[in-house]
Amino acid sequence: MTAQMFFIGFFGLAGVWFGIVVFRTYSMVRSALALLFSQTALGAMFLSMQAEFLGVLQIMMMATEMSIMAIFMVMFMMDPGGLGEMDMTHQKRLSLGVGITAFVSAVAVAVFVDWGPLATTAPDAVQQTADLGLELLGRSMLIFETAGVTILTAMIAATAVAIQPVKKASCHES
Amino acid sequence: MSPELIIALISGAALFGVGIYGALSQTNLVMIMMGIELILAGAMVNLVAFWRYLHPDVAAGQMFVLIIMTVMAIEMAVGFAVAIARFRAIGSVEMEEATELKG
Amino acid sequence: MNLIAIAILAPLFTALLILLLRRTPALLALLGASVACVASLMLLANVANGINSELLLPGLPDMPLRLIATPLTALLSTLVSVIASMVLVYAVGYMQQDNEKNRFFATMLLFISAMQTLVLAGDWILLLSAWELIGLSSYLLIGFWYRKPGVKVAATRAFLVTRSADLGLYIAAFILIASTGSSDIASSLNTSGGAAIAAGLLLLVAAMGKSAQTPLHDWLQQAMAGPTPVSALLHSATLVAAGAILLIRTAPMLPPEVLLVIGIVGGITTVVTGLIALGESDLKRMLAASTSSQYGLMLIAVGAGVPMAALLHLIAHAAIKSSLFLGAGVFQHSRESTLLEQLRGVGHDRPKIFLGFVLAALALAGIPPLSGFFSKDAIIAASLNSANIWILLPFALAGTLLTGGYMARALRILWQKKGESQPVNGLRWMGAGLGVLVTLAVILAAFFPGIESLLNFQLSETSQITAEILGLSAALTGLALGWSIPRQRLLGPLLPWANRGFAIAGGFDNLMVRPALAIAGGCEKLERILYAGVLATGHLGLRLARAARHNDEQRIDAAIFSFVRSTINLGSKARKLQSGLIHRELAISTVASAMILVFMLITLLVY
Repeated sequence: MTAQMFFIGFFGLAGVWFGIVVFRTYSMVRSALALLFSQTALGAMFLSMQAEFLGVLQIMMMATEMSIMAIFMVMFMMDPGGLGEMDMTHQKRLSLGVGITAFVSAVAVAVFVDWGPLATTAPDAVQQTADLGLELLGRSMLIFETAGVTILTAMIAATAVAIQPVKKASCHES
Repeated sequence: MSPELIIALISGAALFGVGIYGALSQTNLVMIMMGIELILAGAMVNLVAFWRYLHPDVAAGQMFVLIIMTVMAIEMAVGFAVAIARFRAIGSVEMEEATELKG
Repeated sequence: MNLIAIAILAPLFTALLILLLRRTPALLALLGASVACVASLMLLANVANGINSELLLPGLPDMPLRLIATPLTALLSTLVSVIASMVLVYAVGYMQQDNEKNRFFATMLLFISAMQTLVLAGDWILLLSAWELIGLSSYLLIGFWYRKPGVKVAATRAFLVTRSADLGLYIAAFILIASTGSSDIASSLNTSGGAAIAAGLLLLVAAMGKSAQTPLHDWLQQAMAGPTPVSALLHSATLVAAGAILLIRTAPMLPPEVLLVIGIVGGITTVVTGLIALGESDLKRMLAASTSSQYGLMLIAVGAGVPMAALLHLIAHAAIKSSLFLGAGVFQHSRESTLLEQLRGVGHDRPKIFLGFVLAALALAGIPPLSGFFSKDAIIAASLNSANIWILLPFALAGTLLTGGYMARALRILWQKKGESQPVNGLRWMGAGLGVLVTLAVILAAFFPGIESLLNFQLSETSQITAEILGLSAALTGLALGWSIPRQRLLGPLLPWANRGFAIAGGFDNLMVRPALAIAGGCEKLERILYAGVLATGHLGLRLARAARHNDEQRIDAAIFSFVRSTINLGSKARKLQSGLIHRELAISTVASAMILVFMLITLLVY
């Protein structure tokens, strides 16, 4: 118990701290990497909570996503290196207030609600995965079908938006 | 009453708060998207904690997490496509300049 | 029955024909009048054989219109149609130079038709209608030469005076109908008591108006402004006779008090108008005053209780006076004037006409064996036999005296050698008409016994001789006085007063016209005040309207517009929310969600 508690606490803290670093650093690359580390810490947190599949999935996915994000950041940021040290924020106090309010309310809910007796054991990894698979292809088939279609749509939409329109020199077709 | 659940929930709450702070305070679209990532991550952490400590036998909890991951992926894909288009049109993705829908 | 209809409708139809065809009016008029004349004569023949006919027309419920042919009405109808025919013959010659023959003959025929209806009327409603119609025809005919100055005034005056007096007839008719419940004249004469006295006095008022008795005698003299045939027909024989006819027909009903009043009114009229005639300087006006005087004598006869004597004198006077007027018409055309000064000696220029004039004048004065003698004699005998002998007899004798006086004066002036006459057109026609009427005037006395037996009436024999002597002496005295003594010496101080028509206290002008005009002026002032009041109310209304508009514009509209402005302001403020900036919109949504979260939290925790 205590080990689990310790690990959850440690990785959670790591995730939060790296998340804060994302927004405090001037360098864009460092922001991206900080986010990567934050997500990885969360993945580790999943693993410590005995959600092996999810944890692995999280780490793998986030690694890829953050790399891509790093590329995009370098493409689109004004000062990727952050050496100019420009303050690229607005409405800081408002957002700070809202963030703190959200945090406080969530914590209050977490603390003051009686969650009941906590489960002590969890099924092992194989079992989890098998259950998840059965769940996926059984009761939640419709959800994932929909999710699949949505992903397809998103891919097509993203491709369509990102395609550069071909400029024809002498065009007289629609 | 062991505190694992509470710790996990507090971490999730903290991630959520940081994510909101980032989404609201950043001028660049990419940074805003990073903030949104953190928000979603916080939700995921909460979900996993609830699954593990309240209903570990029910696989539907993990399924919910999968769906959120799907959402994260989709959102990033479309968002970056929009950022590309915007960058091509204007030359930057600063949200301060996006006043076309000003009423 | 049909004869009655023919007698009334023939002249009317001819009048319409004249107005439609607008040619040969004279011929058509003579045709129409002669048809009516034949019809009346046949009616008289029927009645003489004892056949009384009646014509009922639908009228008000329970009050049908009735035309009756009894001895009295048939006789009067014959009189009207014969005199009308002869006057129309005369009028053909008299109006030869006139341009408006159509109007003249048509109106004359209308009058004849109306007069026939009046004498043949059997119920009050028809009588009243015919009464009105003859008044209208008189107005139209007196005012025939309306372009001449003074004619319109004369016609209006005649109409107004007779119309005002007609009110008495209306009220009397209503009293009689109401008291007996029937409009039949014969049966309505069953009234007695107070209703009879009231009705009788009111009928006297109507008769005074139509027959030009004092004090309503002035209109007849003014009416001489019309053409002479009009004067001959209307204002000597028929229209003015309507008053006397009314009293003769209602005589059975009249109580003794009313009869006395009638006699006194007639007597005063005889004397007053006789004096006016004596002092007149215009031939036609003199004849008009004479007409009033003769009708005064007839009223004396009615007052004495012998209406048949009045009837006899009416018939005789009709023929006589119309002949006199027709002669005067010829003299008028000869000298282009009716003033006696201008007419001096015209008798020499027109000897035949003058002969007829003389015969008629002597008949009027009452010289035997002319008809006037017998009728005047009847009147004097009636007054001798009456209860109020010492009131009526002096009046009757004075009337006879004055008659002789003014006729003799006229004859003297007309015979005096002086002056030049102009040639007259249509003399033959005029002479023909005049001749027939003069003949009638002379020989009518022969018919009197026939008339008396027709009407079942007998002149009382007892005082016959006395009456004859008194009458004849009065007539001869009058003739002598009038022939020899000029009027200034006869009348003396009365002459200027007589010339003004014996106006008392300024006459009707002072008594009636000025007060009426004063009242009218007062009414006009009142109306001006009312008008100012109405205008003020209008202004007040306008001021209220302006205030309301001001209120509407300044206050209400201002309120509405300020409301509108504030809504627009609110809108423009709300517009700021739409910044289009993503971070702002995101902030708004997060704040809203935060608020929802907080709320949810509180409920959860409390709950």
